[in-house]
Amino acid sequence: MTSTTTSFTKFTFFTVAALVFQITGLSLFVFGFFPVKPALSGVSGWESFFAPGCHSVENQSQTQMEMGLSPYELKSLYQDLSLIPPLFDRLILMVIDGLPAEFVLGKDGQPPRKDLMDAMPYTHSLLSSGMAIGYHAKAAPPTVTMPRLKAMVSGAIGGFLDVAFNFNTQALLDDNLLGQFLRIGWKMVMLGDETWLKLFPGLFVRHDGVSSFFVKDTVQVDKNVSRHLENELSRDDWNLLVLHYLGLDHVGHIGGRSSSLMGPKLLEMDEVVKMIHLSTIQTHDNDRGRTLLVVVSDHGMTESGNHGGSSYEETDSLALFIGLKNQVSISHYASATHNSILQVDIAPTLALLYGVPIPKNNVGVLISGTFDCLTDHQQLRALELNSWQLYRLVEAQLPGLSCGDFSCSGFIDDLGSGSGECSGSMEKILRCLFMNAANLHNSWKYKKETGFESREDYRSTVTAYHEFLKTASEWLSRRVTDKPVPLLAFGVVAMALSCLIFLGLITCMSREVYTGEKQHLSGSSNSKIRWCLDEAFILGVVLILVMSMGSSSMVEEEQYIWNFVISTLYLLLLRKAVQSHSGRSGSALFLKAQNKRSDFQLCAIFLLLISGRILRGWHQGGVNWTHLPDISKWLEQAGSNLIRSIQLTSGLLMMGLGLFALFLFVTNTKLVRVVALFFLISGFLVLWHIMEYQDNEFVSSDYHATLLAQPINSMPIFLLLMQIFTSMLYYSSSGPQNKEWLEVALLYYVGMAGHFALGNSNTLATIDVAGAFIGLSSHSTLLSGILMFIITYTSPMLVLLSMVMYISVKDTSYLAIPQSVDLEQFLKMMLGFPCLVPLGLNSILLTAYTVVLLLMRNHLFVWSVFSPKYLYVCTTTVCIYIGVFVVAATEIYIYMVIAFRSKIQVSISNGIL
Amino acid sequence: MEEEKKKKKEICNIAKASTAENSSRSVSALQALSIHLICGLGLAIGLWVAHNLYSMNVVSDPSRTLRLIWIVESPIVTLLYSWFRLNPEQCSYLKAVGRGILALPVGALVTALGAIVLGAPVSIEYLPKTINWSLLMSSCMFVPAASVFGSSWSHWQRIFAYTKPNESLEYMICIPAHGAVIGAWLGAWPMPLDWERPWQEWPVCVTYGAMIGYLLAMVVSLGFVLVHGGRQHRKRD
Repeated sequence: MTSTTTSFTKFTFFTVAALVFQITGLSLFVFGFFPVKPALSGVSGWESFFAPGCHSVENQSQTQMEMGLSPYELKSLYQDLSLIPPLFDRLILMVIDGLPAEFVLGKDGQPPRKDLMDAMPYTHSLLSSGMAIGYHAKAAPPTVTMPRLKAMVSGAIGGFLDVAFNFNTQALLDDNLLGQFLRIGWKMVMLGDETWLKLFPGLFVRHDGVSSFFVKDTVQVDKNVSRHLENELSRDDWNLLVLHYLGLDHVGHIGGRSSSLMGPKLLEMDEVVKMIHLSTIQTHDNDRGRTLLVVVSDHGMTESGNHGGSSYEETDSLALFIGLKNQVSISHYASATHNSILQVDIAPTLALLYGVPIPKNNVGVLISGTFDCLTDHQQLRALELNSWQLYRLVEAQLPGLSCGDFSCSGFIDDLGSGSGECSGSMEKILRCLFMNAANLHNSWKYKKETGFESREDYRSTVTAYHEFLKTASEWLSRRVTDKPVPLLAFGVVAMALSCLIFLGLITCMSREVYTGEKQHLSGSSNSKIRWCLDEAFILGVVLILVMSMGSSSMVEEEQYIWNFVISTLYLLLLRKAVQSHSGRSGSALFLKAQNKRSDFQLCAIFLLLISGRILRGWHQGGVNWTHLPDISKWLEQAGSNLIRSIQLTSGLLMMGLGLFALFLFVTNTKLVRVVALFFLISGFLVLWHIMEYQDNEFVSSDYHATLLAQPINSMPIFLLLMQIFTSMLYYSSSGPQNKEWLEVALLYYVGMAGHFALGNSNTLATIDVAGAFIGLSSHSTLLSGILMFIITYTSPMLVLLSMVMYISVKDTSYLAIPQSVDLEQFLKMMLGFPCLVPLGLNSILLTAYTVVLLLMRNHLFVWSVFSPKYLYVCTTTVCIYIGVFVVAATEIYIYMVIAFRSKIQVSISNGIL
Repeated sequence: MEEEKKKKKEICNIAKASTAENSSRSVSALQALSIHLICGLGLAIGLWVAHNLYSMNVVSDPSRTLRLIWIVESPIVTLLYSWFRLNPEQCSYLKAVGRGILALPVGALVTALGAIVLGAPVSIEYLPKTINWSLLMSSCMFVPAASVFGSSWSHWQRIFAYTKPNESLEYMICIPAHGAVIGAWLGAWPMPLDWERPWQEWPVCVTYGAMIGYLLAMVVSLGFVLVHGGRQHRKRD
């Protein structure tokens, strides 16, 4: 070994170090970027009307008590426990998609523009007469409809992972207002955006969903909502009416904020408000109950009408309460319009107004001003309930908080020590604030009983409650929305570092190999150094991929990129093969051999190209063009018989191919025959299975990789296998013509292209969930997860496992004599590229995509496009780890066998000597 | 008939092989400029006629427009480049023109296959578009080479597999052909984007890319011809 070559152990050390860096970096980033929501499972029940920490109460199973109760009984139970009489019986929730609060309430103390004021005359008359009270409700990014609706009804700010892990269902499973209403027997009606129907399937007794798909349509989409309105308003069989108007958002998307359509649209909305107000709220129709109209918008819009980000224009959404009978009539117009709240505050406010428990994961705070008509006692009780709920949520985040069992034994113990400055850790501050408020409240209650209560005590209690609520709410929502910058930065740096180490190792390795090779075949050294077109292109592919990741539609349609670059690469290899082909049918032996070789190469590449094209046509993947015809759709139309016969054919072909490969690459010995026999047996078992179970949807296994694919995918898998074998043949014939890293990289690309050819895409919807439960007798998340992983990552796995074959195929003749070459060096040469190149390529893509995700964190599609893609990238990384580990383990085993043998040989020869 | 042609070609080839390979007419910079100008004008005339006489363009009716363009372009290219054929003593002008005409469908087949392999749609509705597009590509790429080199493998290999042109005429054939291919390749990139524009259809943006690449490459090749000619002059001095 010369001094320039690094030893095998050093190499291994660096690789493992880089791997460790990558894994830590990735996990840090994932935990930092995808916030873990402060989530409590389950639904708030009657226990939310008791103070937290009373284990005797909470430990009792909630269902035990509530199961037997009818909705009506539950409703009255809540009423008894909450001590606050419900102020309203019916709720009309009118959502105006994309309406900035600025349009209605103005900005910075100024009333809105004259034309906007004129467009909503009735609403403004309500505001100025004190009948309505409006708020700027700050929405949390992403300012897109579905997450915002979730925030409004559940009071929680959603994380991404909880969306991602609900694979195909978009339904809101967390505790929410509508669920609570359903539990107390409300009948609900929904008119408008069908997002509601996706969120709450089967919840509404009547509904008419409109799609937000036709953005150009600004008229019909709202007419479809309003056409039922008169009928619904005249009926009394509902308790909640949800109206969701999309037209204003569409107007914004077409023409921006100052579109000429905006005025008429606002006028139309004003008409709706007027109609509802006149027909239900103003007429004190006692048999229908008291009705509250809440006009909200899910998000605002930028000057050009877009939304999704976190600018003031986009997050400035509206919350307008019409029908609150405020005792203190608000004479001052400004005070009715310039309050600022958070969007999540709507949920607890509505919950307490209607006397249901506050949803469990709510981080919102009661909106002050909405409870003005209650007595002091009831107002404090409302604040108390909200505080208890938030305290429970904080407790779930900070387990240290609950150590003091103060609440059951009562608060009277330390009455005097109520007020005081709170400082220290977050835990201490929150605990101290909560105690302050609770103590003040208790002392107020005590004084009221004895008749000594004063206005001053009341005010200080309210202030204390508000202080706790504000601190806790801010802290909780920061946990969700704030990205821990140091964590993210450290993660990215660690990943970049590991990427650099991998690249350094690869360059180091290639320098060693090619200088070594040059010494070995010192003849044609010139051509070795030259930078070939295909090598440049394979590096260019990495660049192309990294760049394409920044575009959301390129991420959606990634399969086109892979196919395109793979085909281009093959065409470049074709060009290379033509280069070595001399046209003349020369008689010289050397020329003949060369021509024969390049003919063979040409055939191999043609085969690769054709099979690649068929693979591409098999599934029309992606998002935008899935409706176009493809082979799999055509086959499914043609019927199951054809599919079955194709399955059989591909099974047979796969067996044939396997046997062919086996006998081609390995000299014919007994061992090979035995292996072939086993291969045949398992193959026939699979075929028998297909024949037997005609209606069975799934083919179970194959010898080469345990495949649980959909029947339609059996042919692509065969084609993939053929591609791999053909590549092997091509590589074995090419010899030193192509560099090893190029071939490994090409194989990796083939694996990724195959991944998409099997019908996968970068959305979570294409994961074959049904296949993950084959052969499982009971539900097991782990097992079905593993199966799902195998199904989804069939192609990259197959390719990585074929690296073992690649190593044996590759001509390592210059290292053939084991005595002359250090075995460790031999192992390094064998293992180096097949392990390092996939790891290196993957680390580049992973690091680049991490940076892209960070840059795109405010993009409109960050949750729908970029984040799912990131999950895929992470899983690919895991897949590569597993594959590389298997390859390395196999090769190390072979190495140990060889080392053992040579040791025996040496000892034998020593014995002979 | 075809066999006769083949035989004749073979004879022609053997004759060529026996003579020195560089016995084509030399191309001056002015000639190169005019050839490129006329070729470029051919494309422009095709587009102009399509737009003004038939009121269609590549976006609205790709198939017919492309057909019009290649019908205008291919005779121009064939007639022009046949003038600079190899071994003008042994290969008549008409024979060179015939080679060019023969190369048009063959080259179109090759380009069509290449496009399909790279992902062009294969359904029936796209077939005329693909055919017309590949005929246009063929007339830009293969027809000049066929007219000039005939079936001389070493020339074809040097131009298309090695990309090592070494005289003015070879520059003029090689660089625009590569320009058209690279332009078409780059032109395919906007296709998967979800902008929903009519020009993202196959083969509209690929055609635009190819044309732009072709025109740019002609400018580049002109530059090469000038530099190369200058160097040759200096060598002679």
